[in-house]
Amino acid sequence: MAFNILVADDSETMRAVVKKTVEMSGVPVGEFHEAANGKEALAILENNWIDVILSDINMPEMGGMDLLRAVNASADYRRIPLIFITTESSEARVEEAKRLGVAGYIKKPFVPETIKTILYEVLAKAYEHQMADMPRQGGEDSDMDF
Amino acid sequence: MDTNLRQTIYETLSEVFETMYFTFLEPLFETPTQEEIGATDASYYEATISFQGAKSGRFRFYLPQGLARGITVNFLGVNATDVNESQVLDTVKETANMAVGSLLGRVDPGGTMKLGLPRSQATTDFSAADLLAQPGLFLFNTEHGLFWVVYDEGE
Repeated sequence: MAFNILVADDSETMRAVVKKTVEMSGVPVGEFHEAANGKEALAILENNWIDVILSDINMPEMGGMDLLRAVNASADYRRIPLIFITTESSEARVEEAKRLGVAGYIKKPFVPETIKTILYEVLAKAYEHQMADMPRQGGEDSDMDF
Repeated sequence: MDTNLRQTIYETLSEVFETMYFTFLEPLFETPTQEEIGATDASYYEATISFQGAKSGRFRFYLPQGLARGITVNFLGVNATDVNESQVLDTVKETANMAVGSLLGRVDPGGTMKLGLPRSQATTDFSAADLLAQPGLFLFNTEHGLFWVVYDEGE
Protein backbone atom coordinates (compact mmCIF):
# COMPACT_ATOMS: atom_id res chain seq x y z
CA MET A 1 0.00 0.00 0.00
CA ALA A 2 1.23 3.50 -0.84
CA PHE A 3 0.05 6.37 1.34
CA ASN A 4 -1.25 9.69 0.04
CA ILE A 5 0.29 12.44 2.14
CA LEU A 6 -0.75 16.05 2.65
CA VAL A 7 1.74 18.56 4.04
CA ALA A 8 0.44 21.93 5.25
CA ASP A 9 3.03 24.60 6.01
CA ASP A 10 3.29 28.21 4.89
CA SER A 11 7.01 27.73 4.29
CA GLU A 12 7.66 26.31 0.84
CA THR A 13 11.15 25.23 1.80
CA MET A 14 9.86 23.47 4.92
CA ARG A 15 7.35 21.58 2.78
CA ALA A 16 10.19 20.55 0.47
CA VAL A 17 12.29 19.36 3.41
CA VAL A 18 9.39 17.39 4.91
CA LYS A 19 8.66 15.84 1.51
CA LYS A 20 12.28 14.80 1.10
CA THR A 21 12.39 13.39 4.62
CA VAL A 22 9.23 11.36 4.08
CA GLU A 23 10.48 10.03 0.74
CA MET A 24 13.73 8.91 2.34
CA SER A 25 12.00 7.36 5.34
CA GLY A 26 11.02 4.21 3.51
CA VAL A 27 7.29 4.88 3.82
CA PRO A 28 5.69 4.05 0.46
CA VAL A 29 4.29 7.33 -0.87
CA GLY A 30 1.54 7.49 -3.48
CA GLU A 31 0.51 11.10 -4.02
CA PHE A 32 2.12 14.01 -2.21
CA HIS A 33 -0.01 17.13 -1.79
CA GLU A 34 1.05 20.52 -0.47
CA ALA A 35 -0.94 23.32 1.17
CA ALA A 36 0.21 26.71 2.47
CA ASN A 37 -2.45 26.92 5.19
CA GLY A 38 -5.41 25.12 6.71
CA LYS A 39 -7.90 26.42 4.13
CA GLU A 40 -5.85 25.09 1.25
CA ALA A 41 -5.49 21.79 3.10
CA LEU A 42 -9.27 21.45 3.45
CA ALA A 43 -9.70 22.19 -0.26
CA ILE A 44 -7.27 19.41 -1.08
CA LEU A 45 -9.11 17.04 1.27
CA GLU A 46 -12.35 17.74 -0.60
CA ASN A 47 -10.96 16.47 -3.87
CA ASN A 48 -8.36 13.88 -2.93
CA TRP A 49 -8.04 10.74 -0.84
CA ILE A 50 -5.51 11.50 1.87
CA ASP A 51 -4.09 8.95 4.32
CA VAL A 52 -2.12 11.21 6.66
CA ILE A 53 -1.68 14.95 7.22
CA LEU A 54 1.55 16.60 8.37
CA SER A 55 0.78 20.16 9.42
CA ASP A 56 2.36 23.24 10.91
CA ILE A 57 0.34 25.16 13.54
CA ASN A 58 1.39 28.76 13.00
CA MET A 59 0.06 29.56 9.49
CA PRO A 60 -1.78 32.52 7.97
CA GLU A 61 -5.47 32.34 6.97
CA MET A 62 -6.15 29.15 8.92
CA GLY A 63 -3.75 27.61 11.40
CA GLY A 64 -3.10 24.00 12.27
CA MET A 65 -5.29 23.88 15.38
CA ASP A 66 -8.32 25.01 13.36
CA LEU A 67 -7.44 22.51 10.65
CA LEU A 68 -7.34 19.75 13.27
CA ARG A 69 -10.74 20.85 14.62
CA ALA A 70 -12.20 20.85 11.10
CA VAL A 71 -10.80 17.41 10.31
CA ASN A 72 -12.17 15.92 13.50
CA ALA A 73 -15.55 17.58 13.01
CA SER A 74 -15.99 15.95 9.60
CA ALA A 75 -17.32 12.42 9.32
CA ASP A 76 -15.35 12.06 6.08
CA TYR A 77 -11.98 13.26 7.37
CA ARG A 78 -12.05 12.08 10.99
CA ARG A 79 -10.31 8.84 9.97
CA ILE A 80 -7.23 10.77 8.75
CA PRO A 81 -4.43 10.97 11.33
CA LEU A 82 -2.88 14.43 11.65
CA ILE A 83 0.68 15.03 12.85
CA PHE A 84 1.85 18.47 13.86
CA ILE A 85 5.35 19.58 12.80
CA THR A 86 5.66 22.88 14.57
CA THR A 87 7.68 25.40 16.52
CA GLU A 88 4.81 25.68 19.00
CA SER A 89 6.39 23.59 21.71
CA SER A 90 4.96 24.81 25.01
CA GLU A 91 3.47 22.10 27.23
CA ALA A 92 0.14 23.91 27.09
CA ARG A 93 0.07 23.83 23.27
CA VAL A 94 0.99 20.12 23.17
CA GLU A 95 -1.77 19.33 25.69
CA GLU A 96 -4.29 21.33 23.67
CA ALA A 97 -3.34 19.39 20.55
CA LYS A 98 -3.73 16.08 22.38
CA ARG A 99 -7.17 17.11 23.62
CA LEU A 100 -8.17 17.88 20.05
CA GLY A 101 -7.04 14.43 18.95
CA VAL A 102 -3.69 14.99 17.24
CA ALA A 103 -2.01 11.72 16.25
CA GLY A 104 1.59 12.91 16.64
CA TYR A 105 3.61 15.98 17.59
CA ILE A 106 7.02 16.87 16.16
CA LYS A 107 8.82 19.95 17.42
CA LYS A 108 10.95 22.12 15.15
CA PRO A 109 13.89 22.03 14.98
CA PHE A 110 13.80 18.31 14.24
CA VAL A 111 16.13 15.65 12.97
CA PRO A 112 14.83 13.54 10.05
CA GLU A 113 14.83 10.45 12.25
CA THR A 114 12.09 11.97 14.41
CA ILE A 115 9.73 12.43 11.46
CA LYS A 116 10.45 8.92 10.31
CA THR A 117 9.81 7.39 13.74
CA ILE A 118 6.58 9.24 14.45
CA LEU A 119 5.23 8.80 10.93
CA TYR A 120 5.76 5.04 11.18
CA GLU A 121 4.11 4.93 14.61
CA VAL A 122 1.09 6.89 13.46
CA LEU A 123 0.66 4.93 10.22
CA ALA A 124 1.07 1.63 12.05
CA LYS A 125 -1.65 2.55 14.49
CA ALA A 126 -4.06 3.88 11.86
CA TYR A 127 -3.47 1.33 9.12
CA GLU A 128 -2.26 -1.72 11.01
CA HIS A 129 -3.38 -4.33 8.51
CA GLN A 130 -2.01 -2.47 5.47
CA MET A 131 1.38 -2.00 7.10
CA ALA A 132 2.33 -5.68 7.17
CA ASP A 133 4.31 -5.52 3.93
CA MET A 134 6.15 -2.28 4.68
CA PRO A 135 9.92 -2.33 5.35
CA ARG A 136 10.62 -2.29 9.06
CA GLN A 137 11.45 1.04 10.61
CA GLY A 138 15.18 1.47 10.95
CA GLY A 139 15.87 -1.23 8.39
CA GLU A 140 18.51 -0.82 5.70
CA ASP A 141 15.93 0.25 3.16
CA SER A 142 14.81 3.15 5.25
CA ASP A 143 18.12 4.70 6.24
CA MET A 144 18.28 8.42 5.57
CA ASP A 145 21.30 10.31 4.64
CA PHE A 146 21.12 14.06 4.51
CA MET B 1 18.32 41.40 30.50
CA ASP B 2 18.30 38.33 32.73
CA THR B 3 21.50 36.27 32.28
CA ASN B 4 19.59 32.98 32.09
CA LEU B 5 17.35 34.34 29.33
CA ARG B 6 20.39 35.53 27.38
CA GLN B 7 21.96 32.08 27.71
CA THR B 8 18.71 30.39 26.62
CA ILE B 9 18.55 32.62 23.54
CA TYR B 10 22.14 31.76 22.61
CA GLU B 11 21.47 28.03 23.11
CA THR B 12 18.17 28.03 21.22
CA LEU B 13 19.59 29.78 18.18
CA SER B 14 22.62 27.53 18.11
CA GLU B 15 20.41 24.45 18.30
CA VAL B 16 18.23 25.59 15.40
CA PHE B 17 21.22 26.29 13.16
CA GLU B 18 23.03 23.07 14.04
CA THR B 19 19.99 20.78 13.82
CA MET B 20 18.33 22.20 10.72
CA TYR B 21 21.25 23.70 8.78
CA PHE B 22 24.37 21.88 10.00
CA THR B 23 25.80 25.33 10.64
CA PHE B 24 27.69 26.25 13.78
CA LEU B 25 27.26 29.59 15.50
CA GLU B 26 29.90 31.02 17.80
CA PRO B 27 28.22 33.35 20.32
CA LEU B 28 30.03 36.60 21.07
CA PHE B 29 29.27 37.22 24.73
CA GLU B 30 31.04 40.59 24.73
CA THR B 31 29.70 43.15 22.26
CA PRO B 32 32.57 44.33 20.07
CA THR B 33 33.10 47.94 19.07
CA GLN B 34 32.52 49.25 15.58
CA GLU B 35 36.31 49.48 15.16
CA GLU B 36 36.76 45.83 16.14
CA ILE B 37 34.10 44.74 13.67
CA GLY B 38 35.41 46.85 10.83
CA ALA B 39 33.52 47.34 7.59
CA THR B 40 30.41 45.24 7.07
CA ASP B 41 28.52 44.48 3.89
CA ALA B 42 25.34 46.56 3.59
CA SER B 43 23.44 43.71 1.93
CA TYR B 44 21.76 41.55 4.50
CA TYR B 45 18.62 39.44 4.83
CA GLU B 46 16.32 40.59 7.60
CA ALA B 47 13.60 38.56 9.34
CA THR B 48 11.26 39.79 12.04
CA ILE B 49 8.79 37.99 14.28
CA SER B 50 6.69 39.25 17.18
CA PHE B 51 5.00 37.55 20.09
CA GLN B 52 2.21 38.74 22.34
CA GLY B 53 0.64 37.69 25.61
CA ALA B 54 1.78 37.84 29.22
CA LYS B 55 4.90 39.41 27.75
CA SER B 56 5.29 40.95 24.31
CA GLY B 57 8.27 41.62 22.12
CA ARG B 58 9.88 41.31 18.75
CA PHE B 59 13.00 39.63 17.41
CA ARG B 60 14.94 40.90 14.41
CA PHE B 61 17.44 38.71 12.61
CA TYR B 62 20.12 40.00 10.24
CA LEU B 63 21.96 37.40 8.16
CA PRO B 64 24.76 38.19 5.75
CA GLN B 65 24.00 36.98 2.23
CA GLY B 66 26.52 34.15 2.37
CA LEU B 67 25.02 32.77 5.59
CA ALA B 68 21.44 33.04 4.28
CA ARG B 69 22.33 31.22 1.08
CA GLY B 70 24.45 28.68 2.95
CA ILE B 71 21.70 27.62 5.35
CA THR B 72 19.21 27.44 2.46
CA VAL B 73 21.52 25.11 0.54
CA ASN B 74 22.01 22.92 3.62
CA PHE B 75 18.33 22.96 4.52
CA LEU B 76 17.16 21.86 1.09
CA GLY B 77 20.12 19.57 0.46
CA VAL B 78 20.72 20.98 -3.01
CA ASN B 79 23.59 22.57 -4.92
CA ALA B 80 24.26 26.27 -4.34
CA THR B 81 23.44 26.99 -7.97
CA ASP B 82 19.97 25.50 -7.54
CA VAL B 83 18.86 27.92 -4.81
CA ASN B 84 16.76 30.93 -5.77
CA GLU B 85 15.96 34.20 -3.99
CA SER B 86 12.49 33.09 -2.96
CA GLN B 87 13.87 30.02 -1.20
CA VAL B 88 16.48 32.11 0.62
CA LEU B 89 13.83 34.54 1.87
CA ASP B 90 11.61 31.64 2.93
CA THR B 91 14.42 29.94 4.83
CA VAL B 92 15.36 33.17 6.60
CA LYS B 93 11.71 33.63 7.58
CA GLU B 94 11.43 30.04 8.80
CA THR B 95 14.61 30.52 10.82
CA ALA B 96 12.94 33.32 12.78
CA ASN B 97 9.84 31.18 13.22
CA MET B 98 11.77 28.15 14.49
CA ALA B 99 14.11 30.12 16.73
CA VAL B 100 11.52 32.21 18.52
CA GLY B 101 8.91 29.43 18.60
CA SER B 102 11.44 27.13 20.18
CA LEU B 103 12.50 29.86 22.60
CA LEU B 104 8.92 30.51 23.74
CA GLY B 105 8.46 26.78 24.31
CA ARG B 106 11.37 26.91 26.75
CA VAL B 107 10.61 30.12 28.62
CA ASP B 108 6.81 29.91 28.52
CA PRO B 109 5.73 26.29 29.15
CA GLY B 110 2.24 27.49 30.02
CA GLY B 111 1.79 28.82 26.50
CA THR B 112 0.67 32.30 27.60
CA MET B 113 2.48 33.98 24.71
CA LYS B 114 1.35 33.70 21.09
CA LEU B 115 3.75 33.77 18.19
CA GLY B 116 3.03 36.09 15.27
CA LEU B 117 3.76 35.40 11.62
CA PRO B 118 7.37 35.94 10.54
CA ARG B 119 8.41 38.27 7.71
CA SER B 120 11.61 38.50 5.72
CA GLN B 121 13.20 40.81 3.19
CA ALA B 122 16.49 41.63 1.59
CA THR B 123 17.85 44.87 2.97
CA THR B 124 20.50 47.16 1.56
CA ASP B 125 20.63 49.64 4.42
CA PHE B 126 22.10 47.42 7.11
CA SER B 127 23.91 49.48 9.71
CA ALA B 128 26.20 47.83 12.25
CA ALA B 129 26.48 51.11 14.14
CA ASP B 130 22.70 51.23 14.69
CA LEU B 131 22.52 47.65 15.92
CA LEU B 132 25.54 47.96 18.23
CA ALA B 133 23.56 50.56 20.18
CA GLN B 134 20.67 48.16 20.81
CA PRO B 135 20.45 46.78 24.39
CA GLY B 136 18.91 43.50 23.22
CA LEU B 137 21.70 42.64 20.77
CA PHE B 138 23.01 39.10 20.32
CA LEU B 139 25.96 38.46 18.04
CA PHE B 140 27.24 35.26 16.52
CA ASN B 141 30.34 34.60 14.51
CA THR B 142 29.83 32.40 11.47
CA GLU B 143 32.01 31.34 8.57
CA HIS B 144 30.07 33.87 6.46
CA GLY B 145 30.43 36.83 8.80
CA LEU B 146 28.52 38.14 11.78
CA PHE B 147 24.93 37.07 12.39
CA TRP B 148 22.98 39.73 14.29
CA VAL B 149 19.89 39.20 16.45
CA VAL B 150 18.05 41.99 18.26
CA TYR B 151 15.40 41.49 20.91
CA ASP B 152 13.05 44.50 21.20
CA GLU B 153 11.28 44.10 24.50
CA GLY B 154 7.63 45.14 24.82
CA GLU B 155 7.02 46.22 21.21
